[in-house]
Amino acid sequence: MIPTEYYLLLSAAVFSIGVFGVLTRRNALIFLMSVELMLNAANINLVAFSFQYGNLTGQVFSLFIMALAAAEVAVGLGIILVLYRNFTDIDVTKATTMRW
Amino acid sequence: MTAFDFAPAIALLPFVSFLVALFGGQYLPKKGAFAGIAATAGSLLLSAWVAVTVAGGETYNEALYTFTAGLDTFELHLGILIDPLTALMLLIVSFIALLVHVFSLGYMNDEGETGLPRYYAGLGLFTASMLAFVFSNNILMAFMFFELVGLCSYLLIGFWFREDGPPSAAKKAFLVTRFGDYFFLIGVVGIFATFGTGLFAPVETASGTMASFPQIAEQAINGEADIFTAGYGAQTWMTILGLLVLGGVIGKSAQFPLHTWLPDAMEGPTPVSALIHAATMVAAGVYLVARMYGFYLLSPTALAIIALVGGFTALFAATMGVVKQELKQVLAYSTISQYGYMMLALGSGGYVAAVFHLTTHAVFKALLFLGAGSVIIAMHHNENMWDMGGLKEKMPVTYYTFLSGSLALAGIVPFAGFWSKDEVLFEALIHGFGSEGMLGPMYLLAYAMGLLAVFFTGFYTFRMVYLTFHGDARSDTARDPEPVRWNVKGPLAVLGVGAATVGLINMKPIAVLTGAEIDFLHKWVHGPDEGGWPAALSTDLVTYEELMKGVAGISSNYPIGGEQGTLLVSAALSLGLALAGVLFARSLYGVDQPTEHTDKLGGAKTLLMHNYYQDEYQVWLAQGVTVPIARAADKFDQGVVDGVVNGVSSVSLFTGSRFRRIQSGVVSNYAALMTLSLALLLVVFVVLGGGA
Repeated sequence: MIPTEYYLLLSAAVFSIGVFGVLTRRNALIFLMSVELMLNAANINLVAFSFQYGNLTGQVFSLFIMALAAAEVAVGLGIILVLYRNFTDIDVTKATTMRW
Repeated sequence: MTAFDFAPAIALLPFVSFLVALFGGQYLPKKGAFAGIAATAGSLLLSAWVAVTVAGGETYNEALYTFTAGLDTFELHLGILIDPLTALMLLIVSFIALLVHVFSLGYMNDEGETGLPRYYAGLGLFTASMLAFVFSNNILMAFMFFELVGLCSYLLIGFWFREDGPPSAAKKAFLVTRFGDYFFLIGVVGIFATFGTGLFAPVETASGTMASFPQIAEQAINGEADIFTAGYGAQTWMTILGLLVLGGVIGKSAQFPLHTWLPDAMEGPTPVSALIHAATMVAAGVYLVARMYGFYLLSPTALAIIALVGGFTALFAATMGVVKQELKQVLAYSTISQYGYMMLALGSGGYVAAVFHLTTHAVFKALLFLGAGSVIIAMHHNENMWDMGGLKEKMPVTYYTFLSGSLALAGIVPFAGFWSKDEVLFEALIHGFGSEGMLGPMYLLAYAMGLLAVFFTGFYTFRMVYLTFHGDARSDTARDPEPVRWNVKGPLAVLGVGAATVGLINMKPIAVLTGAEIDFLHKWVHGPDEGGWPAALSTDLVTYEELMKGVAGISSNYPIGGEQGTLLVSAALSLGLALAGVLFARSLYGVDQPTEHTDKLGGAKTLLMHNYYQDEYQVWLAQGVTVPIARAADKFDQGVVDGVVNGVSSVSLFTGSRFRRIQSGVVSNYAALMTLSLALLLVVFVVLGGGA
């Protein structure tokens, strides 16, 4: 049986990749994907702890989070669409009109 | 229904006339004069009814309207107190106000003045405020109407606001009296803080008797009540409170050193001067002292100060009246001087004498001002006495009534002023010899000044009469004066008879010499011997006399030949000095072609013409002392207080302007910041041991 630590390490790795993506990439689509990665890292954590404690609540929650992630993607894609319409680009560093 | 149920209407009627004249004046015939005449006549009738009821042995003291009811603390209310003093004063005020309204028909309407609705509105409000002040049953209400009286005097003195003089005079009157009222206000707050009540006289309520503040003060001095005294002894604290209230009195009653506004107030229309000086504004101060006399009697120091201020003012103002060239200026200084006598009487325990002099003065000073008004109409508003002369034949009604008033002012027997002034001086004399400690010498000093002022009074009064009415006419207008109508002569005739006879209400010398009981005013204030009516209010003469002997230490002593002998000597002295003044004026000015004799005074003339440089030093106080202090305070305010506030805000502004630059609009930066912060937070938690 694989110890829980490995799952956590995997989760941490996935989360770090997500954070790295958010911090370095300028393309809004990749941005969105990175956010999804972070979300799923949390999911892995939930499932791993649920497995360790033999409690199904964590797994049920991860299902909810997947549904939430689907809705979030829909909203995110909508935002990207509007972003493209306004700036003819989906580079997040270009959309800087809301500043001081 | 008794008369007391209608008492509020005494003040409300002139108030209604104020509203009528203000909003409907220009549509009415005579621009609102008739509304004022009707209202003041109504007030006079109601006052007479009230006086008759009081004479029947009833008094009244009720709170009518509570505008602030405190929990576990005092209440503020409007109420009415009617005792013999109130009843007498209501009669005087409404009587003079009525005559002034009638006279205004001649002085204002017939002269074609504009802005008359404003004038009659002012007169109405003035009368209403004064009447309400007179029947106030607590000191806060008295203060409110005291201030309203001041406001109205400002409006009326500045009636001709398009000229240069009147607005300035109005502002001066307002500011100088306000300076005194500032102390009065502190006194009112002090009285409420000390006693928890501002009642002049105890009120019977369903839950028992509410004591008045003079009563509580007396108990506190006798050690029977425990009150807040700010760490002073009870009597010292009463002196402080009394002197604070006295500040307002000195301002309003134009006593030294706050008398400077009154001569300038002559810029107002002459009927207004009559109203201000005879019955309302200036009388308010003296009346206030009489109203709370039970309180002042608890403090010998305050009494001594009142007597000295009064005596000094009487002499001081009389000397300035001697050199004035304008008719109304002479009358102005005589007013200041006469109110000095009233203060002298109040300070030296002559309560009846003060009330008596207030009454007679109201009549003869109103007469003199209205007579001066008549002369001014005739002279086409030239007030310089050196342009007059010989008006005696041209305007006999004015002359004889004015003469009657002048004899009363000079104090020549049997005109009104003789009886009252003599009683004032007599009281000061006998109490000066009889009182304990420092009070006696103080009274004698005040008496000496008052006695000396009698000579000057006789002199300036008859200098005025001779210059105005006797000799040859010295200008074209004096040779052909404009005639005056019934509405001028009528009030003059009524007051002329009054000035000759009103002294008969209290002929104390004759009462003492013959034993005849004709000192009616004394009896009026005293009340019946058995269960006297003001006794329930503790504003009766018996209470006051007990306080005089028991607390203030004032008692009478007759230095020369008992009461009768002293009385005769005192009366002979004052009458002799008055006659000497009159004869001296006659010898100097009672000739066909009088010349100015003021140059013989030398340096004193300059001093007197400049009113002892009182205005100059007050202007210096304002400009040389107050302005620099105010400027320094302004600097402190702008620099230190505002500096701290501005410093705090500029720090926020500066940091804000720097910090807002992190709001770059680039999402990646925000994400980086959030990540960094989170990492930092984690590091902190690790270093600090993870909380818990």
